[in-house]
Amino acid sequence: MKASKTFVEIDHTHVNKKQQLLCGDAFMSKKLKADQRVITVLSDGLGSGVKANVLSTMTATMVLNYLSKNYDLKKTAKAIMQTLPVCSVRKISYATFSIADIDHEGNVNLIEYGNPPALIFRDGERIEPERQLYELVKTDQLHDKMYFSQFKAELNDKIILMSDGVSQSGLGPKLYPFGWGENNVGAYVGDILSKHPSVSARYLSRLITDKALENDNSTPYDDISCGVISFREPRETLLISGPPIHRENDVEMGQIFKDFKGKKVICGGTTANIIARETNENISVELKIYDKEIPTVSKMKGADLITEGSITLGKVLEILENGISPEVLPPHGAAQLVDFLLNSDKIHFLIGTKINEAHQDPNVPVELEIRRSLIKQIMRQLEEKYLKETSLKFI
Amino acid sequence: MSEEIKIIICTGTHCFVMGGSDLLLLEDHIPEELKDKVSIEGSSCLNYCEDRTKGKAPFVRINGNLMEQATIPKILKYIETL
Repeated sequence: MKASKTFVEIDHTHVNKKQQLLCGDAFMSKKLKADQRVITVLSDGLGSGVKANVLSTMTATMVLNYLSKNYDLKKTAKAIMQTLPVCSVRKISYATFSIADIDHEGNVNLIEYGNPPALIFRDGERIEPERQLYELVKTDQLHDKMYFSQFKAELNDKIILMSDGVSQSGLGPKLYPFGWGENNVGAYVGDILSKHPSVSARYLSRLITDKALENDNSTPYDDISCGVISFREPRETLLISGPPIHRENDVEMGQIFKDFKGKKVICGGTTANIIARETNENISVELKIYDKEIPTVSKMKGADLITEGSITLGKVLEILENGISPEVLPPHGAAQLVDFLLNSDKIHFLIGTKINEAHQDPNVPVELEIRRSLIKQIMRQLEEKYLKETSLKFI
Repeated sequence: MSEEIKIIICTGTHCFVMGGSDLLLLEDHIPEELKDKVSIEGSSCLNYCEDRTKGKAPFVRINGNLMEQATIPKILKYIETL
Protein backbone atom coordinates (compact mmCIF):
# COMPACT_ATOMS: atom_id res chain seq x y z
CA MET A 1 0.00 0.00 0.00
CA LYS A 2 2.65 2.46 -1.11
CA ALA A 3 2.18 6.03 -2.18
CA SER A 4 1.86 6.27 -5.92
CA LYS A 5 1.64 8.53 -8.95
CA THR A 6 -0.60 11.50 -9.62
CA PHE A 7 -4.28 10.93 -9.15
CA VAL A 8 -6.92 12.68 -11.26
CA GLU A 9 -9.65 13.84 -8.91
CA ILE A 10 -12.83 14.98 -10.61
CA ASP A 11 -15.94 16.39 -9.03
CA HIS A 12 -18.68 18.85 -9.81
CA THR A 13 -21.54 20.85 -8.36
CA HIS A 14 -24.83 21.86 -9.94
CA VAL A 15 -27.33 24.48 -8.86
CA ASN A 16 -30.68 24.39 -10.67
CA LYS A 17 -32.18 27.49 -12.23
CA LYS A 18 -34.88 29.00 -10.00
CA GLN A 19 -38.13 27.03 -9.86
CA GLN A 20 -36.65 24.09 -11.77
CA LEU A 21 -36.57 20.58 -10.38
CA LEU A 22 -34.03 19.40 -12.95
CA CYS A 23 -30.70 20.85 -13.96
CA GLY A 24 -30.29 21.69 -17.63
CA ASP A 25 -26.55 21.01 -17.47
CA ALA A 26 -25.02 17.55 -17.39
CA PHE A 27 -21.62 16.65 -16.01
CA MET A 28 -20.44 13.10 -16.64
CA SER A 29 -17.16 11.27 -16.31
CA LYS A 30 -15.96 7.81 -17.15
CA LYS A 31 -12.79 6.04 -16.20
CA LEU A 32 -11.59 3.53 -18.78
CA LYS A 33 -9.54 1.10 -16.77
CA ALA A 34 -8.11 -0.82 -19.72
CA ASP A 35 -6.91 2.33 -21.48
CA GLN A 36 -6.02 4.12 -18.22
CA ARG A 37 -7.95 7.12 -19.44
CA VAL A 38 -10.54 9.35 -17.93
CA ILE A 39 -13.06 11.32 -19.94
CA THR A 40 -15.10 14.17 -18.54
CA VAL A 41 -17.79 16.21 -20.20
CA LEU A 42 -19.87 19.20 -19.20
CA SER A 43 -22.84 19.88 -21.43
CA ASP A 44 -25.31 22.76 -21.19
CA GLY A 45 -28.70 22.18 -22.82
CA LEU A 46 -30.53 25.09 -24.41
CA GLY A 47 -33.29 26.47 -22.20
CA SER A 48 -33.98 24.96 -18.81
CA GLY A 49 -35.82 22.21 -17.00
CA VAL A 50 -36.67 18.87 -18.56
CA LYS A 51 -35.90 19.84 -22.16
CA ALA A 52 -32.45 21.16 -21.33
CA ASN A 53 -31.78 18.21 -19.06
CA VAL A 54 -32.61 15.71 -21.81
CA LEU A 55 -30.49 17.58 -24.38
CA SER A 56 -27.45 17.95 -22.17
CA THR A 57 -27.70 14.38 -20.86
CA MET A 58 -27.99 13.06 -24.40
CA THR A 59 -24.99 15.10 -25.53
CA ALA A 60 -22.82 14.10 -22.58
CA THR A 61 -23.79 10.43 -22.94
CA MET A 62 -22.96 10.48 -26.64
CA VAL A 63 -19.56 12.00 -25.91
CA LEU A 64 -18.72 9.35 -23.32
CA ASN A 65 -19.94 6.48 -25.49
CA TYR A 66 -18.15 7.64 -28.63
CA LEU A 67 -14.89 8.34 -26.86
CA SER A 68 -14.89 5.24 -24.71
CA LYS A 69 -15.04 3.25 -27.94
CA ASN A 70 -11.91 5.10 -28.99
CA TYR A 71 -13.46 7.23 -31.70
CA ASP A 72 -11.26 10.14 -32.60
CA LEU A 73 -11.96 13.10 -30.33
CA LYS A 74 -12.31 15.69 -33.09
CA LYS A 75 -14.48 13.42 -35.21
CA THR A 76 -16.67 12.68 -32.21
CA ALA A 77 -17.17 16.35 -31.44
CA LYS A 78 -17.98 17.08 -35.07
CA ALA A 79 -20.45 14.19 -35.26
CA ILE A 80 -22.22 15.43 -32.15
CA MET A 81 -22.28 19.03 -33.33
CA GLN A 82 -23.80 17.94 -36.60
CA THR A 83 -26.33 15.72 -34.84
CA LEU A 84 -27.57 18.37 -32.44
CA PRO A 85 -30.67 20.13 -33.70
CA VAL A 86 -30.66 23.89 -34.18
CA CYS A 87 -33.12 26.18 -32.43
CA SER A 88 -35.30 27.69 -35.14
CA VAL A 89 -35.66 31.00 -33.27
CA ARG A 90 -32.21 31.62 -31.86
CA LYS A 91 -30.23 29.83 -34.58
CA ILE A 92 -27.99 28.16 -32.08
CA SER A 93 -27.40 24.51 -31.38
CA TYR A 94 -29.40 22.81 -28.69
CA ALA A 95 -26.52 21.93 -26.41
CA THR A 96 -22.94 23.02 -25.82
CA PHE A 97 -20.12 20.92 -24.42
CA SER A 98 -16.61 20.94 -22.98
CA ILE A 99 -14.70 17.67 -23.06
CA ALA A 100 -11.47 16.76 -21.28
CA ASP A 101 -9.91 13.48 -22.30
CA ILE A 102 -6.95 12.64 -20.05
CA ASP A 103 -4.56 9.72 -20.48
CA HIS A 104 -2.47 8.00 -17.81
CA GLU A 105 0.53 10.25 -18.48
CA GLY A 106 -1.51 13.40 -17.88
CA ASN A 107 -1.86 14.36 -21.55
CA VAL A 108 -5.03 16.41 -21.76
CA ASN A 109 -7.09 16.84 -24.90
CA LEU A 110 -9.61 19.60 -24.52
CA ILE A 111 -12.52 20.22 -26.88
CA GLU A 112 -14.68 23.24 -26.23
CA TYR A 113 -17.88 24.11 -27.96
CA GLY A 114 -20.10 26.95 -26.83
CA ASN A 115 -19.32 26.88 -23.08
CA PRO A 116 -17.16 29.50 -21.34
CA PRO A 117 -13.50 28.56 -21.86
CA ALA A 118 -11.98 26.13 -19.39
CA LEU A 119 -9.72 27.75 -16.79
CA ILE A 120 -6.41 26.00 -16.30
CA PHE A 121 -4.24 26.68 -13.27
CA ARG A 122 -0.59 25.76 -12.75
CA ASP A 123 1.16 26.75 -9.53
CA GLY A 124 -1.80 28.95 -8.72
CA GLU A 125 -1.57 30.97 -11.97
CA ARG A 126 -3.74 30.68 -15.04
CA ILE A 127 -2.17 29.20 -18.15
CA GLU A 128 -3.66 29.36 -21.61
CA PRO A 129 -3.07 26.41 -23.88
CA GLU A 130 -2.96 27.17 -27.58
CA ARG A 131 -6.52 26.81 -28.83
CA GLN A 132 -7.02 25.74 -32.42
CA LEU A 133 -10.23 26.82 -34.07
CA TYR A 134 -12.35 24.41 -36.05
CA GLU A 135 -15.19 26.01 -37.92
CA LEU A 136 -18.13 23.89 -38.92
CA VAL A 137 -20.82 24.96 -41.29
CA LYS A 138 -24.09 23.53 -40.07
CA THR A 139 -26.57 25.56 -42.08
CA ASP A 140 -26.41 28.69 -44.18
CA GLN A 141 -26.94 30.85 -41.12
CA LEU A 142 -25.02 28.80 -38.68
CA HIS A 143 -21.29 28.49 -38.44
CA ASP A 144 -20.17 26.77 -35.29
CA LYS A 145 -16.87 27.32 -33.59
CA MET A 146 -15.14 24.54 -31.78
CA TYR A 147 -11.78 24.86 -30.05
CA PHE A 148 -9.27 22.10 -29.66
CA SER A 149 -6.25 22.23 -27.38
CA GLN A 150 -3.69 19.85 -26.01
CA PHE A 151 -1.32 20.06 -23.08
CA LYS A 152 0.47 17.91 -20.57
CA ALA A 153 -0.81 18.32 -17.05
CA GLU A 154 1.56 18.56 -14.10
CA LEU A 155 1.08 17.68 -10.46
CA ASN A 156 -1.24 20.19 -8.73
CA ASP A 157 -2.70 21.51 -12.01
CA LYS A 158 -6.40 22.25 -11.96
CA ILE A 159 -8.87 22.49 -14.82
CA ILE A 160 -12.17 24.26 -14.23
CA LEU A 161 -15.10 23.64 -16.55
CA MET A 162 -18.17 25.81 -16.14
CA SER A 163 -21.53 26.48 -17.68
CA ASP A 164 -22.50 30.04 -18.56
CA GLY A 165 -24.66 30.07 -15.42
CA VAL A 166 -21.36 30.66 -13.58
CA SER A 167 -19.78 33.22 -15.91
CA GLN A 168 -23.03 35.15 -16.37
CA SER A 169 -24.04 35.12 -12.72
CA GLY A 170 -24.66 38.53 -11.18
CA LEU A 171 -25.58 39.93 -14.60
CA GLY A 172 -27.08 43.37 -14.20
CA PRO A 173 -26.12 46.98 -13.77
CA LYS A 174 -25.52 46.73 -10.05
CA LEU A 175 -22.87 44.06 -9.71
CA TYR A 176 -21.46 42.95 -13.06
CA PRO A 177 -22.94 44.65 -16.16
CA PHE A 178 -21.86 41.68 -18.29
CA GLY A 179 -21.95 38.98 -15.62
CA TRP A 180 -19.22 37.65 -13.36
CA GLY A 181 -17.07 36.80 -16.39
CA GLU A 182 -14.33 34.23 -16.87
CA ASN A 183 -11.60 36.59 -15.73
CA ASN A 184 -13.34 37.35 -12.47
CA VAL A 185 -13.99 33.64 -11.93
CA GLY A 186 -10.29 33.08 -12.63
CA ALA A 187 -9.27 35.74 -10.11
CA TYR A 188 -11.60 34.21 -7.51
CA VAL A 189 -10.13 30.74 -8.06
CA GLY A 190 -6.58 32.14 -8.03
CA ASP A 191 -7.30 33.73 -4.67
CA ILE A 192 -8.60 30.43 -3.25
CA LEU A 193 -5.59 28.53 -4.61
CA SER A 194 -3.14 31.00 -3.12
CA LYS A 195 -4.64 30.34 0.32
CA HIS A 196 -5.47 26.64 -0.10
CA PRO A 197 -3.30 25.13 -2.83
CA SER A 198 -4.43 21.59 -2.06
CA VAL A 199 -8.18 22.33 -2.05
CA SER A 200 -10.12 19.32 -3.32
CA ALA A 201 -11.96 19.31 -6.65
CA ARG A 202 -15.10 18.62 -4.71
CA TYR A 203 -14.76 21.63 -2.44
CA LEU A 204 -13.47 24.01 -5.12
CA SER A 205 -16.41 23.28 -7.42
CA ARG A 206 -18.75 24.03 -4.52
CA LEU A 207 -16.97 27.29 -3.67
CA ILE A 208 -17.33 28.44 -7.28
CA THR A 209 -21.04 27.59 -7.59
CA ASP A 210 -21.72 29.07 -4.14
CA LYS A 211 -20.12 32.34 -5.23
CA ALA A 212 -22.10 32.34 -8.49
CA LEU A 213 -25.27 31.75 -6.49
CA GLU A 214 -24.35 34.64 -4.21
CA ASN A 215 -23.83 36.85 -7.30
CA ASP A 216 -27.37 35.94 -8.34
CA ASN A 217 -28.61 36.89 -4.88
CA SER A 218 -29.49 33.23 -4.22
CA THR A 219 -31.99 33.22 -7.11
CA PRO A 220 -30.16 31.63 -10.04
CA TYR A 221 -31.26 32.93 -13.43
CA ASP A 222 -29.70 29.96 -15.21
CA ASP A 223 -28.46 26.50 -14.29
CA ILE A 224 -25.09 26.90 -12.55
CA SER A 225 -22.58 24.06 -13.00
CA CYS A 226 -18.91 23.74 -12.31
CA GLY A 227 -16.66 20.73 -12.74
CA VAL A 228 -13.11 20.63 -11.41
CA ILE A 229 -10.32 18.30 -12.48
CA SER A 230 -7.44 18.24 -10.04
CA PHE A 231 -4.12 16.48 -10.57
CA ARG A 232 -3.01 15.62 -7.07
CA GLU A 233 -1.07 13.35 -4.80
CA PRO A 234 -3.64 10.69 -3.95
CA ARG A 235 -5.25 10.92 -0.52
CA GLU A 236 -5.18 7.34 0.72
CA THR A 237 -7.66 5.82 3.13
CA LEU A 238 -7.84 2.44 4.84
CA LEU A 239 -11.30 1.15 5.67
CA ILE A 240 -11.42 -1.83 8.01
CA SER A 241 -14.67 -3.67 8.60
CA GLY A 242 -15.48 -7.03 10.11
CA PRO A 243 -13.60 -9.37 12.44
CA PRO A 244 -11.11 -11.74 10.76
CA ILE A 245 -12.43 -15.23 10.14
CA HIS A 246 -9.70 -16.71 12.34
CA ARG A 247 -8.94 -15.08 15.66
CA GLU A 248 -5.19 -15.44 15.15
CA ASN A 249 -5.44 -12.94 12.28
CA ASP A 250 -6.47 -10.17 14.70
CA VAL A 251 -2.79 -9.35 15.17
CA GLU A 252 -2.27 -8.98 11.41
CA MET A 253 -5.31 -6.72 11.18
CA GLY A 254 -3.96 -4.58 14.01
CA GLN A 255 -0.55 -4.41 12.36
CA ILE A 256 -1.94 -3.30 8.99
CA PHE A 257 -3.89 -0.61 10.82
CA LYS A 258 -0.80 0.58 12.70
CA ASP A 259 1.41 0.60 9.59
CA PHE A 260 -0.95 2.44 7.28
CA LYS A 261 0.16 5.99 6.57
CA GLY A 262 -3.06 7.64 5.33
CA LYS A 263 -6.45 8.16 6.98
CA LYS A 264 -8.09 5.26 8.78
CA VAL A 265 -11.72 4.30 9.21
CA ILE A 266 -13.18 1.40 11.19
CA CYS A 267 -16.73 0.20 10.53
CA GLY A 268 -18.12 -2.17 13.12
CA GLY A 269 -18.19 -2.45 16.90
CA THR A 270 -16.37 -5.76 17.22
CA THR A 271 -13.79 -4.66 14.67
CA ALA A 272 -13.20 -1.46 16.62
CA ASN A 273 -12.75 -3.52 19.78
CA ILE A 274 -10.16 -5.71 18.04
CA ILE A 275 -8.17 -2.70 16.81
CA ALA A 276 -8.42 -1.01 20.22
CA ARG A 277 -7.07 -4.15 21.87
CA GLU A 278 -4.26 -4.55 19.33
CA THR A 279 -3.20 -0.91 19.60
CA ASN A 280 -3.77 -0.51 23.36
CA GLU A 281 -6.19 2.36 22.92
CA ASN A 282 -9.61 3.15 24.38
CA ILE A 283 -12.77 3.76 22.43
CA SER A 284 -15.17 6.46 23.48
CA VAL A 285 -18.66 6.31 22.03
CA GLU A 286 -20.24 9.60 21.00
CA LEU A 287 -23.66 9.65 22.65
CA LYS A 288 -24.57 13.20 21.69
CA ILE A 289 -25.26 12.47 18.01
CA TYR A 290 -28.60 10.70 18.18
CA ASP A 291 -30.16 9.27 15.06
CA LYS A 292 -33.07 6.85 15.06
CA GLU A 293 -31.91 5.15 11.88
CA ILE A 294 -28.10 5.09 11.99
CA PRO A 295 -26.02 4.06 15.04
CA THR A 296 -23.68 6.57 16.57
CA VAL A 297 -19.95 7.05 15.90
CA SER A 298 -16.99 6.56 18.24
CA LYS A 299 -13.54 8.01 18.75
CA MET A 300 -10.18 6.39 19.33
CA LYS A 301 -6.62 7.66 19.10
CA GLY A 302 -5.15 6.63 15.76
CA ALA A 303 -8.49 6.26 13.95
CA ASP A 304 -10.00 9.12 11.98
CA LEU A 305 -13.53 7.74 12.11
CA ILE A 306 -15.26 4.80 13.77
CA THR A 307 -18.80 3.84 12.79
CA GLU A 308 -21.07 0.86 13.33
CA GLY A 309 -20.89 -1.80 10.57
CA SER A 310 -23.77 -3.30 8.61
CA ILE A 311 -26.50 -0.67 9.01
CA THR A 312 -24.10 2.21 8.35
CA LEU A 313 -22.52 0.54 5.31
CA GLY A 314 -25.98 -0.26 3.93
CA LYS A 315 -26.90 3.41 4.23
CA VAL A 316 -23.58 4.46 2.69
CA LEU A 317 -24.40 2.36 -0.37
CA GLU A 318 -27.85 3.93 -0.60
CA ILE A 319 -26.39 7.46 -0.38
CA LEU A 320 -23.75 6.74 -3.02
CA GLU A 321 -26.24 5.07 -5.37
CA ASN A 322 -28.60 8.02 -5.17
CA GLY A 323 -25.82 10.58 -5.52
CA ILE A 324 -26.89 12.44 -2.39
CA SER A 325 -24.44 15.03 -1.12
CA PRO A 326 -23.51 14.24 2.52
CA GLU A 327 -23.74 17.94 3.37
CA VAL A 328 -27.53 17.85 3.06
CA LEU A 329 -27.89 14.87 5.44
CA PRO A 330 -28.03 14.84 9.25
CA PRO A 331 -24.50 14.30 10.63
CA HIS A 332 -24.95 10.58 11.36
CA GLY A 333 -22.30 7.90 10.88
CA ALA A 334 -23.24 7.09 7.29
CA ALA A 335 -23.15 10.74 6.20
CA GLN A 336 -19.78 11.17 7.92
CA LEU A 337 -18.44 8.04 6.25
CA VAL A 338 -19.61 9.10 2.77
CA ASP A 339 -18.02 12.51 3.28
CA PHE A 340 -14.83 10.76 4.34
CA LEU A 341 -14.79 8.46 1.30
CA LEU A 342 -15.48 11.29 -1.13
CA ASN A 343 -12.56 13.20 0.39
CA SER A 344 -10.28 10.25 -0.39
CA ASP A 345 -8.78 9.22 -3.73
CA LYS A 346 -7.53 5.69 -3.11
CA ILE A 347 -9.49 3.58 -0.69
CA HIS A 348 -8.10 0.29 0.56
CA PHE A 349 -10.71 -2.05 2.02
CA LEU A 350 -9.56 -4.61 4.57
CA ILE A 351 -12.56 -6.81 5.18
CA GLY A 352 -12.93 -9.46 7.87
CA THR A 353 -15.16 -12.28 6.75
CA LYS A 354 -16.40 -13.63 10.05
CA ILE A 355 -20.19 -13.64 10.13
CA ASN A 356 -21.99 -12.39 13.21
CA GLU A 357 -24.54 -15.13 13.79
CA ALA A 358 -26.76 -12.82 15.80
CA HIS A 359 -27.46 -10.92 12.55
CA GLN A 360 -29.01 -14.08 11.11
CA ASP A 361 -31.60 -14.22 13.91
CA PRO A 362 -35.04 -14.22 12.23
CA ASN A 363 -36.29 -11.84 14.94
CA VAL A 364 -34.02 -9.06 13.67
CA PRO A 365 -36.47 -6.47 12.33
CA VAL A 366 -34.25 -5.18 9.49
CA GLU A 367 -32.52 -6.98 6.69
CA LEU A 368 -28.75 -6.85 7.09
CA GLU A 369 -26.77 -7.63 4.01
CA ILE A 370 -23.64 -9.77 4.12
CA ARG A 371 -20.68 -7.45 4.55
CA ARG A 372 -18.72 -8.85 1.63
CA SER A 373 -21.48 -8.19 -0.86
CA LEU A 374 -22.15 -4.73 0.58
CA ILE A 375 -18.50 -3.73 0.31
CA LYS A 376 -18.26 -4.88 -3.30
CA GLN A 377 -21.28 -2.79 -4.23
CA ILE A 378 -19.85 0.25 -2.42
CA MET A 379 -16.54 -0.23 -4.24
CA ARG A 380 -18.31 -0.38 -7.60
CA GLN A 381 -20.12 2.87 -6.86
CA LEU A 382 -16.91 4.59 -5.75
CA GLU A 383 -15.05 3.44 -8.85
CA GLU A 384 -17.67 4.00 -11.51
CA LYS A 385 -19.61 6.97 -10.26
CA TYR A 386 -17.06 8.81 -8.16
CA LEU A 387 -13.90 7.79 -10.10
CA LYS A 388 -12.07 6.62 -6.98
CA GLU A 389 -9.47 3.88 -6.97
CA THR A 390 -10.12 0.98 -4.65
CA SER A 391 -8.42 -2.20 -3.53
CA LEU A 392 -9.81 -5.10 -1.53
CA LYS A 393 -8.23 -7.59 0.82
CA PHE A 394 -10.15 -10.19 2.80
CA ILE A 395 -8.83 -11.35 6.11
CA MET B 1 -28.04 3.48 47.64
CA SER B 2 -24.57 3.15 46.17
CA GLU B 3 -22.42 6.18 45.50
CA GLU B 4 -22.06 5.86 41.75
CA ILE B 5 -24.05 4.14 39.06
CA LYS B 6 -22.24 3.41 35.84
CA ILE B 7 -24.37 2.40 32.87
CA ILE B 8 -22.78 1.14 29.66
CA ILE B 9 -25.08 0.88 26.64
CA CYS B 10 -24.12 -1.38 23.75
CA THR B 11 -24.33 0.53 20.46
CA GLY B 12 -23.43 -2.44 18.23
CA THR B 13 -25.52 -3.46 15.23
CA HIS B 14 -27.57 -6.19 16.87
CA CYS B 15 -28.46 -4.21 19.99
CA PHE B 16 -29.27 -1.14 17.89
CA VAL B 17 -31.77 -2.93 15.67
CA MET B 18 -33.32 -4.87 18.57
CA GLY B 19 -34.38 -1.66 20.31
CA GLY B 20 -31.08 -0.31 21.62
CA SER B 21 -31.39 2.86 19.56
CA ASP B 22 -33.96 4.15 22.07
CA LEU B 23 -31.57 3.60 24.98
CA LEU B 24 -29.36 6.45 23.74
CA LEU B 25 -32.07 8.79 25.03
CA LEU B 26 -31.70 7.34 28.55
CA GLU B 27 -29.99 10.42 29.92
CA ASP B 28 -33.15 12.49 29.38
CA HIS B 29 -35.11 10.07 31.57
CA ILE B 30 -32.83 9.84 34.60
CA PRO B 31 -34.63 11.35 37.62
CA GLU B 32 -33.22 14.69 38.72
CA GLU B 33 -32.12 13.38 42.14
CA LEU B 34 -30.00 10.65 40.52
CA LYS B 35 -28.36 12.72 37.80
CA ASP B 36 -25.22 13.43 39.82
CA LYS B 37 -24.68 9.76 40.57
CA VAL B 38 -25.41 8.20 37.19
CA SER B 39 -22.85 8.15 34.43
CA ILE B 40 -23.81 6.85 30.99
CA GLU B 41 -21.32 5.54 28.48
CA GLY B 42 -21.57 3.76 25.17
CA SER B 43 -19.70 0.67 24.07
CA SER B 44 -19.07 0.02 20.40
CA CYS B 45 -20.03 -3.61 21.16
CA LEU B 46 -20.26 -5.50 24.46
CA ASN B 47 -20.02 -8.80 22.51
CA TYR B 48 -22.90 -10.45 24.41
CA CYS B 49 -24.83 -11.06 21.19
CA GLU B 50 -22.34 -13.75 20.24
CA ASP B 51 -23.27 -15.84 23.27
CA ARG B 52 -26.85 -17.07 23.39
CA THR B 53 -26.64 -17.92 27.07
CA LYS B 54 -26.43 -14.20 27.85
CA GLY B 55 -30.03 -13.60 26.78
CA LYS B 56 -31.46 -11.29 24.18
CA ALA B 57 -30.40 -7.89 22.90
CA PRO B 58 -30.34 -5.01 23.58
CA PHE B 59 -27.73 -5.36 26.30
CA VAL B 60 -26.70 -2.89 28.97
CA ARG B 61 -24.17 -3.21 31.77
CA ILE B 62 -24.95 -1.49 35.05
CA ASN B 63 -22.17 -1.40 37.62
CA GLY B 64 -20.71 -4.47 35.97
CA ASN B 65 -23.97 -6.43 35.93
CA LEU B 66 -25.47 -7.51 32.64
CA MET B 67 -29.06 -6.58 31.77
CA GLU B 68 -30.60 -8.27 28.73
CA GLN B 69 -33.63 -6.97 26.76
CA ALA B 70 -32.97 -3.58 28.26
CA THR B 71 -35.51 -0.80 28.00
CA ILE B 72 -35.49 2.64 29.55
CA PRO B 73 -38.23 1.79 32.14
CA LYS B 74 -36.43 -1.45 33.01
CA ILE B 75 -33.14 0.40 33.58
CA LEU B 76 -34.84 3.12 35.64
CA LYS B 77 -36.57 0.54 37.80
CA TYR B 78 -33.30 -1.29 38.35
CA ILE B 79 -31.21 1.72 39.30
CA GLU B 80 -33.81 2.77 41.87
CA THR B 81 -33.09 -0.48 43.73
CA LEU B 82 -29.35 0.18 43.89
